[in-house]
Amino acid sequence: MVTQLVMVREFLAQFQGNEFIIALIFFAWLILAGTGTWLSRLCPTRFAISSQRLAILSLLLCTFAVLQILTLRFCRDAFFIHGTSVGFYQTLATIFFIIGPYGLLDGFVLPYSLFLLRKNSPEYPGAFLYMLDNIGDVTGGAFFAFILVTLVSPLQAVFLAHVPLLLAIYLLISVSHRKKPTVLLLSILSCFALLCSGVFLEKISLSDREGKLVHYQESRYGRITVLQDQEQFTLFVDGAPQFSNQNQSQAEQTVHFPMAQTNKARSVLFIGAEGGMLQEVEKYQLQQVDYLELDRQLSAAQLTFGLLSPIENLHTIHQDGRTFLSQQRKKYDVIISNMPEPDTFQVNRYFTTDFFQSIKNHLQPSGVFSLSVAGYDNYLAEAQRQKVSSIYNSLTPFFRHVILLPGQKIFFICSDAPLQTDIPHLLAKQKIDTDFISAYYTGNVSQERINSLMDILDPTTPANHDMKPFLMQIMFTQWFHKFSTTPVPFIVTMALCLLVYFIRCRGEEFILFSTGFLTMGSEILVIFSYQILFGFIYEQVGLIVTVFLAGLLPGAWYGEKIRRMKSVKKFLAAGDLILICLMALLLLFTLMPDKLSMFFFLSFSFAISLICGCQFPLALCLGGDDNRAASRMFSADLVGAAFGSLVTSLYLIAFLGIRRTIIGLIFIKIIGGVVLLFTDEKN
Amino acid sequence: MKKISRRHFIASSGLLLAGSAANAHGAFWSKEKSSSDKTVDISGTIFKNDAPDALWKWHHEGFLYNKLADNKVRCGICPHRCLLSPGDRSICRSKINHRGTLYSLAYGNACSVHLDPVEKKPLYHFKPRSTAFSIAATGCNFRCLNCQNWEISQAKPHEVRFHDLFPADVVAAALENKARSIAYTYSEAITYFEYMIDTAQRAKQEGVDNLWISNGYINRKPLIALCRYLSAANVNIKSFSDDLYRTLNGGRLQPVLHTFKTLHEQNIHFEMTNLVVPGYVDDPDMVKRMCGWILENLGPNYPLHFLRFFPKYKLNRLPPTPVSTLIRFRDLAMSEGIHYVYTGNLPRHESNNTYCHQCKKLLIERQGYHIPVCNLQGNKCPFCSTIIPGVWQTN
Repeated sequence: MVTQLVMVREFLAQFQGNEFIIALIFFAWLILAGTGTWLSRLCPTRFAISSQRLAILSLLLCTFAVLQILTLRFCRDAFFIHGTSVGFYQTLATIFFIIGPYGLLDGFVLPYSLFLLRKNSPEYPGAFLYMLDNIGDVTGGAFFAFILVTLVSPLQAVFLAHVPLLLAIYLLISVSHRKKPTVLLLSILSCFALLCSGVFLEKISLSDREGKLVHYQESRYGRITVLQDQEQFTLFVDGAPQFSNQNQSQAEQTVHFPMAQTNKARSVLFIGAEGGMLQEVEKYQLQQVDYLELDRQLSAAQLTFGLLSPIENLHTIHQDGRTFLSQQRKKYDVIISNMPEPDTFQVNRYFTTDFFQSIKNHLQPSGVFSLSVAGYDNYLAEAQRQKVSSIYNSLTPFFRHVILLPGQKIFFICSDAPLQTDIPHLLAKQKIDTDFISAYYTGNVSQERINSLMDILDPTTPANHDMKPFLMQIMFTQWFHKFSTTPVPFIVTMALCLLVYFIRCRGEEFILFSTGFLTMGSEILVIFSYQILFGFIYEQVGLIVTVFLAGLLPGAWYGEKIRRMKSVKKFLAAGDLILICLMALLLLFTLMPDKLSMFFFLSFSFAISLICGCQFPLALCLGGDDNRAASRMFSADLVGAAFGSLVTSLYLIAFLGIRRTIIGLIFIKIIGGVVLLFTDEKN
Repeated sequence: MKKISRRHFIASSGLLLAGSAANAHGAFWSKEKSSSDKTVDISGTIFKNDAPDALWKWHHEGFLYNKLADNKVRCGICPHRCLLSPGDRSICRSKINHRGTLYSLAYGNACSVHLDPVEKKPLYHFKPRSTAFSIAATGCNFRCLNCQNWEISQAKPHEVRFHDLFPADVVAAALENKARSIAYTYSEAITYFEYMIDTAQRAKQEGVDNLWISNGYINRKPLIALCRYLSAANVNIKSFSDDLYRTLNGGRLQPVLHTFKTLHEQNIHFEMTNLVVPGYVDDPDMVKRMCGWILENLGPNYPLHFLRFFPKYKLNRLPPTPVSTLIRFRDLAMSEGIHYVYTGNLPRHESNNTYCHQCKKLLIERQGYHIPVCNLQGNKCPFCSTIIPGVWQTN
């Protein structure tokens, strides 16, 4: 689990930090693990089962864990042009290539361990191993999410997670061999040395040729690095440049476009800020400047390297912006949202009608709100036009006046008071001096350009809502458009694979497939719903994931206990019914989001995983718990989970919204129930 | 129906999955890796069977091409010299072979139309304070990873919104908006050559100047034809390395150098821009070599602009260019002997201003697009009477 989480973060840092990449990694991981598990059924005939071989396989796992991270870091530039972002298919291929050996082996080792256990105890139940695996998952997940993530670097985390495995391998050899094989002991030592060397290679493997790496830190929210090139410091988050101390034009526009609209501003709220902005806002006589930044380490790095300089009356708040607004009654004269592009579900929350309503509640009657998205030089592409139109249509219900100022960024300036587009004139009236605006505004933000932008806005584009994030669809489209590709070949290939799988698989396998699908789909759904409603609070999201994994354990234990009862099918059906009811309950709650609480999400997560965990041994019982059947069942669960993560993240939530996703998951489970009706009980 | 075995199934689906990923991956890599050496080459390829069945309103027969056997045609506009079978589309996406004839589909359909200060092109030695009526149709013969206008340069004509603006309409609109010039810019004007040259011809008849903003990847013959109507040009020298041209832009250096020589021969005023991409184009030795070539082949009088890179399009994981690098390169180029060297987007910095290369006195002060001081007397320095290269008929 630790390796999996480290790899997810590593891919986010090396490729692109959005949920689609996360979904692809989980998909690839689970598919590979499923394939590895499925291949293990060949063991009794093709691959002898012995503790020595299990030790070798485990040592290979340790080795691959380090090597895959280093391979990814060192080989990215060998496969792709340095400094470029990477498209969907290239990312997918790289994920399979990099994690392929580990994923396959990881999947293979689980049933292999079961076969080894059954060599000595033929009646050893598969569900017990499932439970043990879950215990490992819960422990690893919690250990990483609450302790390792902030305290150690990725390769240190891998080191710490694998030392117990090395000890376990040593114990395995000690117990099973009176005379310890020297080659194996040497291999353990070599593996230990490799894990240690990884730790020392951490910083070297992150160095860049554009400058000197002067700061590196893993925060909960991503990898923060600062590169120095002469006098310029650039802060990168997950490999993408975010802030520079030489981006004066950005600072001036973000601050002065809204500030120029009012000459009586006393209080300002920044939701995110970057180099030079605070200096610009200092030019006004303000009584209070509140600056919201969720990531404490990020703002610390900004302050350290002069990307932000503290000013008088500055009040820095490390809190999720939406959570802060929901807990405050204070009203501001100007609110400036300086968030990254809305291409993750997390950031999308700052571009929705629900957020704008909240902003309106925190503005003085003639207060000004501004936000920005990536702009264009000379032509607004269709996907971007839809994005801008959607934001505009989301803002207009709350503000009487909304103007758009085009350029490298498109600024939305909103207020109930009339607004003007001649910013240099407004600034001159207030005697505010600027470098960029006074020099370049008339050429870059001419009235002709403002008018042509306003003219092409589409009033029919759907607004962007928390529960139906339209901008995520746009982001998905833009991603493919940028790389001149289409998701169609991938979707068709996956659909064909699934079709053939469904034709060939047994009823019990389909039940477990649907359970795996629902488990993973629900987990993603619960995390996204929670983030939308309560904001991104790392520990609480970590807690939900932990509870989700923890529920599987007692579920599997109870399933194992009752599987000897007469009608397993009835229990499975009852489980399905409860799952459907729970999903319906979630649907009900999303219609009344103000009734939801953290307790609900935790209870819901636990209940879902409890039932899903319970279904595993029951389905195993239906399919027969011999070695081959166990491999198939483990595999079906993993493949279901793979498609659950992929379909829920990439399609259901982005294109259908939260509520319809719940309905979709209910529908899939109903199909599982129908299949159950036509399945024979073997035991 | 014959049932397939599980082994067969897993092998097939595995192959399908791997094939699908490898296909996409393979397509990517095969595009990028040059077969001859280790240099990555991102040059575009012809779009086979991608042409529409019927021509649309915005078409025009190709300006320069050869008809070959089997209804094939070879475009003669740019060094790619696309060989198109019937139904194929060119690398630049604008030209097609329709039944044995080469047509441009980017004629009269300007997708981007704006009024810009001429300084924005950038042209610092061409009629300061004047306005350029700027147009673009889709297409580009390069594949620059940091393209600012990729939404139109990497698009086919039918994929964008456009204005119905045939050459006569363009000239009329420029006059109506009191623009002194028409700039063919934003995407790559070479790809809509037929549209550009017809418009330029009409514009010249009406006394409107023509400005060509380009990557310079054009053959000599069409360029000479264009020069008959050109008033000035800004040509991008992306780097002074053929390898970098192939890796970052999908083109070659030599044809661009030929373009500079041709413009020089034809007495067209032009300015050069060089985008300083960190980690790639920020090598002082390369700048020295570039300046050496300019001095040897073009002389010291053509202005050179060093522009700051910002992460864009696919090249979005690099830092911006440090300001001091631009200033250092300006100093370097001037010390090598180039008379007029500027840096882009550094407001209130002296590198925006024009100083007489002889007496070093301030001739034009620029604050972005605002020009508070313009001391020229005709085309001469008012202090020492040195002729300042450029087209100076100021407002």
